[in-house]
Amino acid sequence: MDPIQIGSLSVVAIIFLIYLGLYIPIALGIVSFVSIWLMRDNFDLAMNLLKIAISDSAMEYTFATVPLFTFMGLVVSKAGMGTDIYEVMNAAFQRIRGGIGMATVGANAVFAAVTGSSIASASVFATVAVPQMLRYGYNRRFAVGVVAGSSVLGMIIPPSAMLIIYSFVAEQSVGDMFLAGILPGLILAIAYVLAIAVTGRLAPTLIGEVTVEEGTRLSAGEYASKTLPLVLLVTVVLGGIYTGWLTPVEAGAAGALLGLLIALVRRRMTVRTFWEALLETGHITAAILFLITAASIYSRMLGLAGLPNMLGELIAQNQLGFIAIMIIYVSLMLFLGTLLDTASIILIVVPLFLPLIEPMGLSLVWFGIVTVVGAEIGLLTPPLGISCFVIKSTLNDDRISLMDVFLGALPFAMIMLCVLVLLIRFPQLSTALL
Amino acid sequence: AHATETIKAVVIDGYPAKAMWVREFTDFFIPEVDKRLAESGNFKMQWQESYGGSIVKPKGVLEGIELGLGDIGIVTTIFHSSKLPSQALSAVTPFVASDARAVARAVDEIAKEFPAMQREFEKQNQVYLATGVVLDTYQVFSREPISSVNDLKGAKVAGAGMNLRYLEGIDGAVGVRGGLTDFYSMLQTGLVDQAMLWPEAAATFKIAEVGPYMLQADLGAVNTKTVTVNADYWKKLPDEVKNVMGEVAVAYRDHIASIAMDNAAASRKAYVDAGGTIVELDEAERVAWANAMPNIALEWAAELDGKGEAGTDMLKAYLAKLSKAGFTPLRDWSVK
Amino acid sequence: MDFLQKVSQTATIIAVAANALGTLVVLALVAVVNYDAIARGALNRPFMGAVEVVQFSMVLIVFLQLPDVIRVNRLTRSDGFLILIGKRWPVLSRVLGQILNVIACVFMLLVAVAIWPEFLDMLETRDYFGIPGVFTAPWWPIKLVVFLSASLCCLLFALKVLAGQDTFPTPADSHIVD
Ligand code: NA
Ligand code: NA
Repeated sequence: MDPIQIGSLSVVAIIFLIYLGLYIPIALGIVSFVSIWLMRDNFDLAMNLLKIAISDSAMEYTFATVPLFTFMGLVVSKAGMGTDIYEVMNAAFQRIRGGIGMATVGANAVFAAVTGSSIASASVFATVAVPQMLRYGYNRRFAVGVVAGSSVLGMIIPPSAMLIIYSFVAEQSVGDMFLAGILPGLILAIAYVLAIAVTGRLAPTLIGEVTVEEGTRLSAGEYASKTLPLVLLVTVVLGGIYTGWLTPVEAGAAGALLGLLIALVRRRMTVRTFWEALLETGHITAAILFLITAASIYSRMLGLAGLPNMLGELIAQNQLGFIAIMIIYVSLMLFLGTLLDTASIILIVVPLFLPLIEPMGLSLVWFGIVTVVGAEIGLLTPPLGISCFVIKSTLNDDRISLMDVFLGALPFAMIMLCVLVLLIRFPQLSTALL
Repeated sequence: AHATETIKAVVIDGYPAKAMWVREFTDFFIPEVDKRLAESGNFKMQWQESYGGSIVKPKGVLEGIELGLGDIGIVTTIFHSSKLPSQALSAVTPFVASDARAVARAVDEIAKEFPAMQREFEKQNQVYLATGVVLDTYQVFSREPISSVNDLKGAKVAGAGMNLRYLEGIDGAVGVRGGLTDFYSMLQTGLVDQAMLWPEAAATFKIAEVGPYMLQADLGAVNTKTVTVNADYWKKLPDEVKNVMGEVAVAYRDHIASIAMDNAAASRKAYVDAGGTIVELDEAERVAWANAMPNIALEWAAELDGKGEAGTDMLKAYLAKLSKAGFTPLRDWSVK
Repeated sequence: MDFLQKVSQTATIIAVAANALGTLVVLALVAVVNYDAIARGALNRPFMGAVEVVQFSMVLIVFLQLPDVIRVNRLTRSDGFLILIGKRWPVLSRVLGQILNVIACVFMLLVAVAIWPEFLDMLETRDYFGIPGVFTAPWWPIKLVVFLSASLCCLLFALKVLAGQDTFPTPADSHIVD
């Protein structure tokens, strides 16, 4: 067997083992290890590569953004900032049909700017928004669907662990990736709100027999106390990165410290929740960085096999154009998205396609946004859709089945796909702020 | 008539193919080796070039060659102060020569006359071929008008690696560490008042927009690249191929150094065209700055001496070579 | 079985302790980066070792916490298929799960074996990273942490195989990281 055959087989083997249930980093690591060994017929070489990858990959300075932004996100959730912004949005949208749904989307978009993951968003808004929507007669599938759909904003709008991971694989600046995520995130949020408004007009039953509620009004003081802390955090973190005052690592550290101070001042944090946030941060960091480490063995294996070069030649021979490549790429991500988490999808597909994209003169920052949005659709699709799982388990309500959550999220996944097409067609939407 | 033997070579660098020294490896080194081998017709190379992180990242070339992931590579030596200490030779001797060609030749000759540099690479299972210099000289780029070393007092100055130590003699000046890609925003935001980088990098990163005053301090050229070959691979090469590679490596050394000088001249012009002002630093001031610095060259030499290498002799020989080439040090780094 | 329980308990204690230590490193990371930014901006005295300390802490966070991540079964995986076949063929599902844990155990063993000579080498040569005269840190503690972590991970996977279950009995919830 020549290296290219071994390389191709190993990609298939990795996906097969992952679907069987093998830990994803282990699958990436061990299959790549064996293929390098076979390819060069040299066991020591495979061991050496393992050695380099294991101790070097975690040592990247910018990876400090992963624990820092994760910690910041956990602290602000525990400090109740998600609930605060939801109440504010709710007060603003309360007289419109589907208003609570729109408020959920809006609150998610704002909350996304201070948290790096979708899990946090999904669990926070499942607890506050879903019960309220059910109380006002919303369709239960719509209620959970809108929470699931808008939770993905957490990883598109910066800060975002997925943008960080992409920036590492593609060697792009984390700051650039963050800035590029802002407009696409807002576009997706607006698309959701418009879709809710249009559905409310044309097919109101899909949203439910909504009694237009006369909710409580917030006083100016309440508005201020519920929004200012968030505004301050967003200003420091994104403002710091945008102006160049802070590197992404420093912005993460400043955001974590500031979030902690806000939580302390508002007496929303106990020693116990503080420790839990730290523990959780460590677990998430270890899991993500170990995955990245294993993926770095995989991408070197691909390089040694010459697989990306071969893919490039294959595409040139068959004269596949931009559109065909994008269709293949998005389809592959959707396929992997059925079972894989976002980070794994990014780490598996990007090393394969990056060498094809660069020579075409396309922006790698734009490609990153396309990748992250495409991979995130998997959060909403069965059988494994992590946002949907989190909502189901957070709600713990017998009236709502997992099936309801997936069906409710489906229209939002479709909207994501439409926005993805838009982002592919108009790269400026991603690169305008750079 | 005789058969031609084909020899495979995997070339690696973590920097992309568009980087000058990588591009010239493709456009100069490889065709030159092919041409010289074609004269006898005994051997023919079959090159596989893997650049830009496909096999290793920039910091990983040294290990990549050591482990045989690549046969030939361009090691960026400044990443490896610990494993390749003697490679810091030109970095610890500022204010001597701002000429990439002269420094490349002097360092390369030292590498071939003294065993230290080759031994360091030997320990990493590779054979030293030649030195590359792509950086003609560090200069100081400033937000505010600057004309003397006094203007650096109490200032924050961005730098990377050994050049941070050049600031040690200046009152209140502090070095701020940063990567090349960070310098623009560090200057823009006022995080630092000045940044040390070479004119080509200044042009690439549009430093004129945020650091429109260049203090021409001519701190000196620094060697940062070395072409090496995996030792096991080297052992198996026929002598003819070894000789050709050795000769072409020297030609490549001079070739990229002269391109570096051309680029530097063009970059200075680009800097001025983009609105930058160049202020020459007074000779007396340069001498004063050099004398104010701790003698990092002697520190370097003592460290090598301690390891049983001829550090002090290397330093002396290196300075002598540059003197002979017409570059008089502003400070004799070989004495206390 | 008694011996196995003792090993399992000891491994659990070490993993939890390492995890707590790694948790403190997260806090230290927040402190160091903030200190450097403030000291540089306000006091004109940047902390020259910030980069190395951050790199060092990343390795500590990852490898001190990894064993606990494995212990509570939070290492990223997609177990939908295992659960699906578990409903009809519980034995098949369990055997498959065991095989997957053996594979994971072998991989962590390979990591430990690969890194050990590297540790010895770094201990002997005192190799460092950073800039001499500015800030340097030795490599060997990093290699040692990776070695110990990989060994413990290997042991934990082996215990999972022997005990026939994916999680160890301590109060901790598990879900997939995303
Ligand atoms: Na976010
Ligand atoms: Na899915």
